[in-house]
Formats: sequence, structure tokens, C-alpha cells
Amino acid sequence: MTITAPAPDAVSSAADRWIVVGSSTNPEPELAVREALATIVDRADPKLTIIFCSPAYNLAEISRLVQATVGAGEVIGCSTAGELLRNNPMTGGLLIWALGGNGFAVTTGVGLGDPATGLRDAANTAAQCLRQLERKEHTLLFLLADGLCGDQMEVVRGAYDVSGAGVPLMGGCAGDDMALQATQQIHSGELLTHAVVAAAITSNAPMAIGIAHGWEPLSEAMLVTGSRGTTLETLDDRPALDVYLDTYAAPAEVRNDPAAFFDFAHTRPVGIARRNRTEIRYVYGADYEQRTLTIFAEVPQGAMAYLMQGNSDSVLHATSEVCALAEQALGGQPAKGFMLLECVARKSLLSKAGLLEESLRLPSVGPDATVGGFYTYGEIARTEGSGGLHNQTVVALALA
Amino acid sequence: MSTAPWSLHVLSEVLAAFTVQSPTALRDVVSRVAEAVDAEITAIVRQQGAFELCVGLEDQEKCLLAAAVAERLPVLSLGGVLLHLYWAPLDGGDVMVVGRFKEDYTLEERALLRAMGRSIQLSTQMLAALKAEQEALGAEKEAKNLAIREATIDPLTGLPNRRCLLAHLGARLAVRSEGREQLGLLFIDLDRFKHINDVYGHSTGDAYLQAVGAALAHVRDHDTFVGRLAGDEFIVIVDGTDLRLLTDLAERILKRLDQPWTIGGRVLQYSASIGVALADPGDRPQDLLDKADLAMYSIKQQAPGRHACFQPYMLDQARRKADLETEIRSALRHDEVISFFQPIISAAHGGVVGFEGLARWLHPGRGLLAPEDFIEVAEEAGLLRDLDARILHDACFRLTGWQCVQQGFSPRLSINLSAASLQDPVLIERVADTLAASGFEARNLLLEVTETSLVRDVERAQQNIVNLKKLGVKLAVDDFGTGYSSLRYLRQFSVGMLKIDRSFVSGLGLNHDDDVIVETIIRMAASLGIQVVAEGVETAGQQAILCGLGCDFLQGYLLGQPLDSPMSELLFARSERRLLQLGNDAF
Repeated sequence: MTITAPAPDAVSSAADRWIVVGSSTNPEPELAVREALATIVDRADPKLTIIFCSPAYNLAEISRLVQATVGAGEVIGCSTAGELLRNNPMTGGLLIWALGGNGFAVTTGVGLGDPATGLRDAANTAAQCLRQLERKEHTLLFLLADGLCGDQMEVVRGAYDVSGAGVPLMGGCAGDDMALQATQQIHSGELLTHAVVAAAITSNAPMAIGIAHGWEPLSEAMLVTGSRGTTLETLDDRPALDVYLDTYAAPAEVRNDPAAFFDFAHTRPVGIARRNRTEIRYVYGADYEQRTLTIFAEVPQGAMAYLMQGNSDSVLHATSEVCALAEQALGGQPAKGFMLLECVARKSLLSKAGLLEESLRLPSVGPDATVGGFYTYGEIARTEGSGGLHNQTVVALALA
Repeated sequence: MSTAPWSLHVLSEVLAAFTVQSPTALRDVVSRVAEAVDAEITAIVRQQGAFELCVGLEDQEKCLLAAAVAERLPVLSLGGVLLHLYWAPLDGGDVMVVGRFKEDYTLEERALLRAMGRSIQLSTQMLAALKAEQEALGAEKEAKNLAIREATIDPLTGLPNRRCLLAHLGARLAVRSEGREQLGLLFIDLDRFKHINDVYGHSTGDAYLQAVGAALAHVRDHDTFVGRLAGDEFIVIVDGTDLRLLTDLAERILKRLDQPWTIGGRVLQYSASIGVALADPGDRPQDLLDKADLAMYSIKQQAPGRHACFQPYMLDQARRKADLETEIRSALRHDEVISFFQPIISAAHGGVVGFEGLARWLHPGRGLLAPEDFIEVAEEAGLLRDLDARILHDACFRLTGWQCVQQGFSPRLSINLSAASLQDPVLIERVADTLAASGFEARNLLLEVTETSLVRDVERAQQNIVNLKKLGVKLAVDDFGTGYSSLRYLRQFSVGMLKIDRSFVSGLGLNHDDDVIVETIIRMAASLGIQVVAEGVETAGQQAILCGLGCDFLQGYLLGQPLDSPMSELLFARSERRLLQLGNDAF
């Protein structure tokens, strides 16, 4: 799937923009930061440095070290469920993704929420950085959010209240190496939780977003007749759990064992029908008494939904093609770099199939383009229509 | 949007997501409307064109949408991309606008959006009604709380008021009657509080009461309950106590209150008196209050600024006093209070020149009672004005009834006037009526006032004195030398006569100081043109000294004790014949 990007900037110069990625798996924070920033420290005019860091590190120390090295440039980041480079899926590592040069300008913001009220107001607060940005031809709002703090869709809604339809949203939900306990966010050397951090990026060259997931509907479209926040209650007026178990012909243990259900649902997401696409929702729990499904983000009542199916091949194909989809939307300009955010559930699926490294070969990406990103608990990509929060999806940001 | 066979039931279930369940949820619901049809823009636009809210547009783009709203355009071009608009009517001309780029809405989506708009409209109406109801309930609750507060809290000090105190006292007494607790009560009355109001004004008085209330609030704990009973009276109710604890607390309070307090820039220091009482079995709230009140009253009479514990005799005393008050009222109604007359003698020739009219009570059971047997109670009961009026009336009528007076020989009449009467707005009317009705000549009437009553409310007293003078009535200062003895007042009030107090007269020839004082008063009065009467002359020696010092008139048992009207008339008739031989002496 491609997202239409604004027209290319005729006067932009590739020389006034740079995008670099560095990484390290050195367990010593100081050494890890030094290694990860090695490709960046000599770059002039850094505008935005993004830290993707395993929770195995002391993130407070990492963020302090990075901020101290970068100096005046904006620094944001988050904990991950794995980091990724081209050909190199990482676990327990540190990845730095950075951009700079006169062709870019960046402002950042942060907002704090809490599990009781969610992150809509936090995202709104963080997105206010957009108002301080002196915009060039192409602008985008990049978001990193706590993926374990209420309905993830609220992050998109809160940011969209500020950005409006004219500014695409892109980003992801922080991870914690699948502990599903607590994630962390970084802003200007400060370590946070239950937060949303944002970077408003403006460029004199195009930026475009690609979205792919590789899942296909298994069921007929069903009306979401009951849904509250992250609880999917009924589909076509039937208990959602029963519909789910019956549709997938779930084995007996899945019908009464939460752990078995968790593994089972890992590759059986719910899809929300949009006009010309399907947004994926990650099912990560079941309430056997209430007969409901627990979802990472809201499946809105009144929407049409599918129960999805896929396999390692279809998922692999989506990851391989997403950068190409994004680059195609640059209007013919070559991408200097990519930000790749992929759902951790896909990582698990591909890993089990022994296809994880292959998924990151990214044959369509030119040899000079940098690629970096992380495995997420939720992906954000909104360019048209409503929605914009995805699960079990891979999203790519291409920057010319 | 995919099609689906919706039943009405299913549709209503779906629309439940588009009801606004709290004032802050409207934005969430509107966001879901957009998500339901995969639209980029949603807005609620009021009839007047103002945006209630708008999702998906930046400020400058809202202007374009506002223009489209005004013209009800179905399509708007934003950045060269067509935005298809759908209008779902809301209440009172308001609309919900949904905008989707590139793709128009299907018939099904239009129906759904209209139903969603209706759902939002109904729920916001319900919410508004609920809010109004809650506000009304809130206002009612607030009014109720206010009414309760006003009914139970003293607005000046913020302490529980009389009603609340009595209710608490009743509740505690009920508990005590079950034998679990011993209950005590302190009745606190501020000493000379009226003086604060009179001298510094009521705003200072109120501030002082507030300060006292705040100070007393500090003694509150889980066993004590503090409130303001009325005026300058405060109550402390103490649970689980004994007499020693109660008196200790009373002493602590007295010490705390008897401090110099700066109020309104003035330093005020006033004491308080406290009555202490413990509840007895069967006591009602008013019983315990009365006991403590009696104890307070008792100590205030004897030694203000201290505390006293209730003793049963206080109750007997109080009851006797109450009975006496009732009897005095009855006596005044039935003319049992009559005038006796004590002669006033010319020091120069020894003849009777006038009488002082004195109150006596012909008690039906106890016989003739002197003023000291009932004046104090009459004063406390506020009956002095009636008593003064009664004596004035009786004395004037009796004197004019004397045969010798009818023959043209009029003695002077002195009548005591209390401070209450001197400040009575109807005093002049009353005196004038009495003179007119009795035919007694105003020039022969002297009204005796004490120095203290002159200065109590100078302005009002002065007005009455000026008007008395206009009637032709003279003013005499009684007990001169025992009070303020202000020369300024003598001039200010045009005093016609001074009466030297008997305490000085009794010391004449025995106490040098008294000799000097009496001589000084007589000389000073002579120099001011004021006549002098010496009271309490009981010995020939005193009479001789007074005559030697040039005192004008004498009064005392040596010269004649108070007599009833017939005897006095007889005395005067005899003296009158002597006066005819000596010539009348001005009085």
C-alpha cells in the first residue's frame, strides 16, 4: 500500500540533508553510546537524534550520554522490543537514528498521561511542538508513545487534534522486550513513562510513509456492535470471543487457557475495514467470563471488522515491500534514509519461521540509503482517512 | 464502506457509541464519527457559524470551512484536493459537518451519519438536561446546607449558635442519663462588653467577639464543644469531666481572654466571668445552662474576671429575685409604691424649705419596704423608669394636694432620677404631663441625678437636661464627690444644686480630709453660683460645721426622717408659719 506524498521539492539539495544510523550491542552504556554515535558525531548541524534502546540498558544513562554528546540538537527516544538495521535484527541493543543539515528543521515536545485517563491529552500536548515549527515544504509529526498506557488509538486522536489532515503522523509505541510491564520514553535527556514524545520534522525534500502488513481477511465483514476502549465485546451482536474462537476453529486449550490463547492470537489479528485499506489490531487477551477480546487499540463500535489470517511468507513479503512503497511516494526522488517500525508480533512470527534476517534484506532499498528502526508495540501512520493506529504492521518513513 | 445487513436493533447498538455521556466526551464521539466513515474532518458548527469543535483542520483552513458552512457547500477544495462534506443536522440549526477527501459518501454512509448526528443531538440534550437538573439539585443542596449552617452556626464567630448548642447539650445529656459520662458546662460572659460597644462602636465590639470566638475555639477537642449562646455569652460543653477539670479549664480560659488584644488598631483588655456547673441527673439543657448562668452571674456581681461554681443557694436566690421582680411589677400596677418625704432645711434659719420624695413600698405581706429592699432588682428588671415615673407622679400630686400649698406656700420637691430615666426619650413628655396634670410648678421641682448617670450617655442626657431646663425644672447632682466630680459637666449641664454625699458629711469634725473636701465643694459651688445641700446630717456637730462653712441646705435624720405625706404636710405647715416670720428662703 502506498501513501500519496506531496510533490517533490524542485529546489531541494541532497547535500543540505543527511540521515545516518548507528548501533551497538556493547553492554557498557558509555561504549555503546560511543559506538552508536560514531557515524554521527562528525556530522554538521544535527537536528534530531532518536534513541531506540533495549530496556536491558540503563536508559537514563544512555539518554544522558547521548544528549551530552549531541549537545544542542533535539533528542528523543524510547525503549524497544528489539532494534533493526538492514539485514540485522537486534535484541538487547542500542540504535541511534539521526538527521541533520539545513534542509531539515525540527522541534520536539512531550506530554504526560496516566493509565486511568490514557494518552490523548499527552499526545495533544506533545504535538504542540508543531506550532513552534517554522515549516518548510514538507512536514511530518513523528510520535513515540507508551504502548501500555490505555488505548493506543488515543495517541493518534490527540496528535491529530493538533496536526489536522494536512500533516501526516508517523511513529510507534515503545516496547519492553515483550515483558509487557512498562515502557520508557526519552525527551531531552529526561526518562519518562506513560508519556508521548513528538518531533515535528520539516524538510525541503519529500517525506513519505509506507504501510504494509500482509494479513488477509479470513471472515466475512462483521459489524462491531459492542466495543469499549481496548475491549471488543460483540461482533454482529455475538460475543466477540465466541466469534473469534469459532471462526479460527480454536483448539480446546485456547478456549480456556490464557497463555495458550496469547500464543494462538499472536498470528490472528482483527482487521478494521477502511475505505481502501484494512487496519490491523493485535488481540492479546481474552476474558473467558465476559466472552470479550482484549485489543491493544480500540476497534471502534460501528466499524466493519474482519478476522485476519496470514503466514510467515505474507508477513515477510510485507516487510520487504514497505520501504519500496514509501520510496515510491517520494515522487521520483531517491530516499536518503528510512525509518522502519515493525510490530514485535511479526518479529516473533518471522523468527519462528527463520525468516527474520531475510525480512530485513530490503532488496528494493538502494545501497546508499540508511535504514534503522525498532520493533514496536503499535505502529502509527496516518496520512489520509481516519484511524492511523496499526498493530502487527510494518510502517516505513522514507526521507528524500 | 462495506455493506452489511443491519437490523434496527443492531443499528441502535452501534449508535450507542455515538452518545455523549459526559461534557468532555463530545470530542471523542465526534472523532469516532469520522473514523466510522474513514473521514478526515469533523466539526460541530453552531447556528451562528461558530465552531463548537473541529477535528482535522488547522486554524486557517477553518475559515474556508466556515465559509462553506455558511453556503452549505457539498464540496470544498483544500490544497487542491476535494473535500466532500456531509451535513448532519443537530439541535436548533447547529450541524455536524463531516469531511472526507476525494471520495463522496454512499447513501448508506449518509444515513449512518444522519443517525449518528441524531444520536449525538439526543445525548447532548439529555446531558444538558441532566446538567441543569444536577445544577438545580446542587443549588438546592447548597441552599439546604446554607440553611442548616445559618440555623446552627453563629455568622459572626463561626461557632455553633444557641440552637446548635442546646441540641448538642440535649444529646450529651441523653448519653449521660445512660450513666456513661459526666457532663460539665462553662458559661462565659464578657465583662463590660457594653462598654466596648458604647465607647469604641459596634464594629469593634463585633471584632472583639470574633477574637474571643477564635480564642475559645482553641480549647476545642474531642471532649469539648464551644459555641456562642448570644451577645457576649459563650458556652463550653465538656464531656467526661469533673469539677476540678472544669475549673482548671475555666481558669485557662480566663487567663487566655484577659490579655491585651489589638483590635482595629486599639489595644483592648477586658476580662470575662465564668460560671461552672455539672449536670445532675434529670437535668434538661436549659437547667444546666441556668445553673452555669447563675454561677456566672454570682461571680460577676461579686468579683468580675473570675469563675464560680454553681451552688444550690444560687438557685434559691435567683428564684427569690424572680419572685421579687414579679411582685415589684405588681406593686407598680397597684400603686403599692408610694412617696415618703424627707425635709430639706435651710442652714441659715432651720426652716423646712422643701422635701426629697423617696420611694417606699407598702408591701401587702411584708409591710413598708425601703428602696434598698427592691431597687437593685427593679434596676435589673429595667423597672427604674416606671418607678421614677411613679414617684414623680405620686409626689407631685400629694404636694399639690396639701392644703397649705393650695394657700400659696409651695415647698420645693427633689426627686431621684435614675440613669435609665435620664436617657429615656419620653422623659420630657412624662415630666411635662405630670406637672400639667398635678399643677405642681416646674420651678419648684429638682430632679436629682448621679454623676455616673450624667456621663453614661452624655449626648442623650444633655438633650433631656436642656429640655428639662426649658420646662423650668432644675437639675441637682446627687452624691457629689463620689463619682467623676467633673467641673466641666457642672457648667455643661447648668446644674442648679449639688448634694454633698453623706460619706463626707459623716466624717466632718472627725476626718480632716472630709472637712477639706466638704469645704472645697461648698466654696467651689458658691463661686459657680450653685447651691449646696448636705445629705446625711445626723449630729449637731455636723450641722454646726456645715453652717459655719456656708452650706445652703441640710438634710438628714437629725433634721427629719422620711415621713408619709400627711405627716410631711403637717411638718411643712408648722415650718411654714415659722417661715412667714423669717421670710421665704430661696431654694
